[in-house]
Amino acid sequence: MAGRGTNGRHGLRGHAGRTAALARLLHKECIQLLESYRNSESLPSSPVAGDYLVSTPPLVPQLSDAEKISILHAALKECLRLLEDVITREDAEFSDEDSEYRRKRKTVRDRLGHLLASTEQLLVDGQKFEAEVKEELDGQAASGSFGLKMWIVRVLQDLVHWTGQTSDTLRSLPAEMVKAPKTMSRRTRRGAGKIRK
Amino acid sequence: MQGWVILALLLSLGVLRSQAQNGLGELPVPHGLTLQPDLPAQTLTMTWQSDSSLFDIEIFHTELMNVVLNETVAVKTDPVTGQRVWIWHSSLPLECTSHSVRIRARNQQSVSQWSPPQTIPGSDIPEKSESSMYPQDKVVPVGSNMTFCCIVKEKVDFQDIRYMGQQMSATRLSRRTYAITVTNQPASGNTGTNVVCCSPEFTLTGAVVFVGYPPGDEGLVCETRDLASAKCSWWKGRDTHLKRKINRTNYTLNGRDCLVTNDGNTSWCSSKVWEDNWTLVARNTLGTVRLTDSAQLANRVHLLAPANVTAVEVKAWNATLQWSWPVAAYKKLEMVCQLELIGHELSSTRNYSGTGLSSVMLEGLWPDADFTVTVRCGSKHGFWKWGDESAPFRIHTKMDRPDALDVWVWMDSSNTGLVLWKPLSVRKSHGALVGYKVSQSSAEEDGWTTVSLPPERFNYPIILNNSSDITVAVAAQNPAGLSQPSTVTTPAYRADSQLSMSQLLGTNGTFDLSWQPNANTSRGYVVEWVPTGCSGLCPVNWEKVPEKDSSFTVKPDSLEKGVRYTVSVYVLSTGAATLLQRWQGYSQEMIPAQSVDLSANQTGSDVLLSWKATTMKQQRGFIRGYTIYLANAARLDLVANISDPEVRSYRVKGLSLSSYKFVVKAYTSAGEDMGTTVAIKMEMDTADMLFVGILVPLAAMFCCLILISICCYKKREWVKKAFYPEIPGPKVPGDWSSPQGPLDVKPPPHSLVHIVESPEWDFSKKGLVPVPEEEEEYENDNIEVDTDSDEPALLRYYNQVVGDGSHSNHVSDSSGSSTASVGSTQTEITYAGIQSPTSSQGASGGGGYRPQMQSAADPAEPQDEFEADFQDDGLNTGYKPQCSWQLDSPEAENFSGSLGSPTSVTSSQFLIPESSEEKPQSSSTWFHSFLSGKS
Repeated sequence: MAGRGTNGRHGLRGHAGRTAALARLLHKECIQLLESYRNSESLPSSPVAGDYLVSTPPLVPQLSDAEKISILHAALKECLRLLEDVITREDAEFSDEDSEYRRKRKTVRDRLGHLLASTEQLLVDGQKFEAEVKEELDGQAASGSFGLKMWIVRVLQDLVHWTGQTSDTLRSLPAEMVKAPKTMSRRTRRGAGKIRK
Repeated sequence: MQGWVILALLLSLGVLRSQAQNGLGELPVPHGLTLQPDLPAQTLTMTWQSDSSLFDIEIFHTELMNVVLNETVAVKTDPVTGQRVWIWHSSLPLECTSHSVRIRARNQQSVSQWSPPQTIPGSDIPEKSESSMYPQDKVVPVGSNMTFCCIVKEKVDFQDIRYMGQQMSATRLSRRTYAITVTNQPASGNTGTNVVCCSPEFTLTGAVVFVGYPPGDEGLVCETRDLASAKCSWWKGRDTHLKRKINRTNYTLNGRDCLVTNDGNTSWCSSKVWEDNWTLVARNTLGTVRLTDSAQLANRVHLLAPANVTAVEVKAWNATLQWSWPVAAYKKLEMVCQLELIGHELSSTRNYSGTGLSSVMLEGLWPDADFTVTVRCGSKHGFWKWGDESAPFRIHTKMDRPDALDVWVWMDSSNTGLVLWKPLSVRKSHGALVGYKVSQSSAEEDGWTTVSLPPERFNYPIILNNSSDITVAVAAQNPAGLSQPSTVTTPAYRADSQLSMSQLLGTNGTFDLSWQPNANTSRGYVVEWVPTGCSGLCPVNWEKVPEKDSSFTVKPDSLEKGVRYTVSVYVLSTGAATLLQRWQGYSQEMIPAQSVDLSANQTGSDVLLSWKATTMKQQRGFIRGYTIYLANAARLDLVANISDPEVRSYRVKGLSLSSYKFVVKAYTSAGEDMGTTVAIKMEMDTADMLFVGILVPLAAMFCCLILISICCYKKREWVKKAFYPEIPGPKVPGDWSSPQGPLDVKPPPHSLVHIVESPEWDFSKKGLVPVPEEEEEYENDNIEVDTDSDEPALLRYYNQVVGDGSHSNHVSDSSGSSTASVGSTQTEITYAGIQSPTSSQGASGGGGYRPQMQSAADPAEPQDEFEADFQDDGLNTGYKPQCSWQLDSPEAENFSGSLGSPTSVTSSQFLIPESSEEKPQSSSTWFHSFLSGKS
């Protein structure tokens, strides 16, 4: 009974709340990470030209909360992949000396992994959306070290964007979120032709 | 004729040729111009064909026709290709914009036409619409100048170019290209220096430049750790600031790639085989450094640290240490090892040598002590450096018997003393002490008497029952056993008073002692110092001095400033120590802690100041004297400086009558104390006071009397008239034939005299006889009598005057203030009382005498009967002479109650007839006459 209780209505809501708090914290840390990188590189605060690297189906209001969470989970997953690529390339290219930026970078990477694991528990019936990355680092690296740095900025901009989206979405979850699994299954099946799985 | 024609033709041809060379288009135009750009190097290689050797070269930005080069150069023909080649280095990356080149031949002042321009397209051509910046990832030395260009994306506005975040002044090179030039670039950070091109909305593009230094490595040294391989190390030197991995410095050791390990600022790489010559090449994008080293293996042995260091045998004074070597080849190596021993009070470094040394004996240790040992070794032959140090190994040695104690006896009286011994240091105790054994014996007693004392005791009192010496032996004891006993025999006590001691002056807080060597000494001397006057458990210090020495310095750590010490030197020989010399002194004198006890006494016009010296403890130095000051307001005036400390008084002479404050200060060599103040007020001497207070008034009085006497003498007629006027004789009606002689009149109780009115009064008779005073008082003891004792005398005198025939109409005053009246002038008061009836009012309350006139203002007079008599008299309310007076009237007896006042000097009343025309003079009248000299 106790186990059922923790997985029940209140337990799920509690988990969603913790996930929302985690997303909010990560969003704040991503902002700090981007700011730290710009400061260390003396880069202007204006955004890098171009769209977000990670693209998903639009988060229209018609989507259910579960569908939104699934989309965001997919986007965050791509963000993590991009961040790990960036870390690998950056460490290979430049000195791996310790710095404030590098410590924050590691924190964001670890917390992003936790957020992914946490949002995954909110997914229902194994229905998962996929996100797409329009550009890859290899194409940008041809422009030299500055291209890598701009790529890093864009990845961090994506991180700020998608963690913010996740935080907002989870924070606005209604109380009936716990009822979502059944309805979400129907909607997922209905929208399966539009959204890649 | 033909010759002239030919000459003319030749001349014309020459002129034509000359004209053709000087005119335009005559020189052949260079042809076949080709351009070969080297974009990373920012160079442009131009090749062309021409017979000329001098050319004008013009390079310009194609789009805006900005000329960037217009130069005349001499270019030789390449012998292989037969073409002319000229290389131009551009400060601007060639990608920034399109460049066009044209050439013309030049021969002095003549030039050919320009060749057709050749163009290399830049990246700002419409076909390349994206933003870009050049150069990318360039590596340049610190301080170099560079030009960066930004090609803006089509249809995007340019805002600025920022170098290290700082906006730079940009120059427009083409429709889409802007450039900045940065001079004297500083070294880059870890990820290079960013140059960013921005539009108003976005970050468009950018470039990274890596600014650093060529390699600065130096000091290559190779050595072996295992007697086979090599380890070469060097100092990296200045940071290149080139942290991008492809820009980092690359190293090769003897041509082989070197896997560099960094250890701080030192780098090293290894080689499996030892070579006698080593070359290290350090190379990066900006430069190359070559380092060499040459040495034989035997001279470059750097041993590893000994392993497994242990102590196989530990004793009280030594220990055997053992270790092993991690490299088997060391066992055959002649080596020297260094052991560093660190103890609480003992630290030393000891060297041992041997082949494959792995065990040594450490000697000279202390019992019951902790030691830490480290071992390091090196090759004995061709010593290069000490090898690595082993891990510290701790040794604790065993205990041993303590060393002998330093014992002394301090005699504080002739038959009591204190055996003292100094605590043993850790080095001398050889283990924690468990106590002391004190044994004593005297010549009269057989054997030793032993007592055990705890380890915290360092003294033992002794008492000499008789004058024989006592020998005391003290031994320290620890778990390992007893120390050798230290014996001492009680020296003879010598009190300070028995000796002539000299003063000892400290020097920098020390006592420098020296004495005459004594031939009797066999064991040296003992210098003892103790606070003077101390008794009981005193801080007794002593030090033993070898017999060859005759001087000693008492260190300041055992001396206290301002404390007097008694320093004694004893001669040690067989038997008891004997006193050789004794001093008293201060290691450092201080000003007295307490001021003297001061008093002041006046002696005439002198003041005697006397004081008592403070106690020795408060003196804190030898008193050198006293200074006496007179305190005036805020300053002290020196009165005297007494340099003899035994003088304890001083007389300040010749002081006037005033108040004084004297300050007396004792002083030592350190200075004066705070001083004691005494105040004294100078007063007149007793004899003077007597003189001034008594003799002077007496003299003044005497002078006054003389003056009065003289005056009275000169005015004696007037005086007589004024004070003793002729009194008319009374007219006595009727027969008044009483015999001559005293009138035996018994006055009424209220009066001293009864006067009977009689017109035939015979002046020759003795009219009035005073009643003896005693009798009067006896009879009138209920009456308030004037206690003035003069009154009877006056009465007598007055009656005598009357009896002598002095006639006066004076009537005795009846006022209540008899005392005052009698004391002044009898006559005056008498008249006043008669003439002014109201003057008697003042005595109404006292029930005194009322003259024969009723005072209307005093109705409350208690003498009713007396008043009734006067009231019966109708109009006669004024003065009533004693005409109605009835001698021995029974009524008069009734007046006794109201007329008993002594002020009622009725005895002074005379029977003045009413017809008497003479009036007495008023006091003002006679006084005026006195002053005016009338008689």
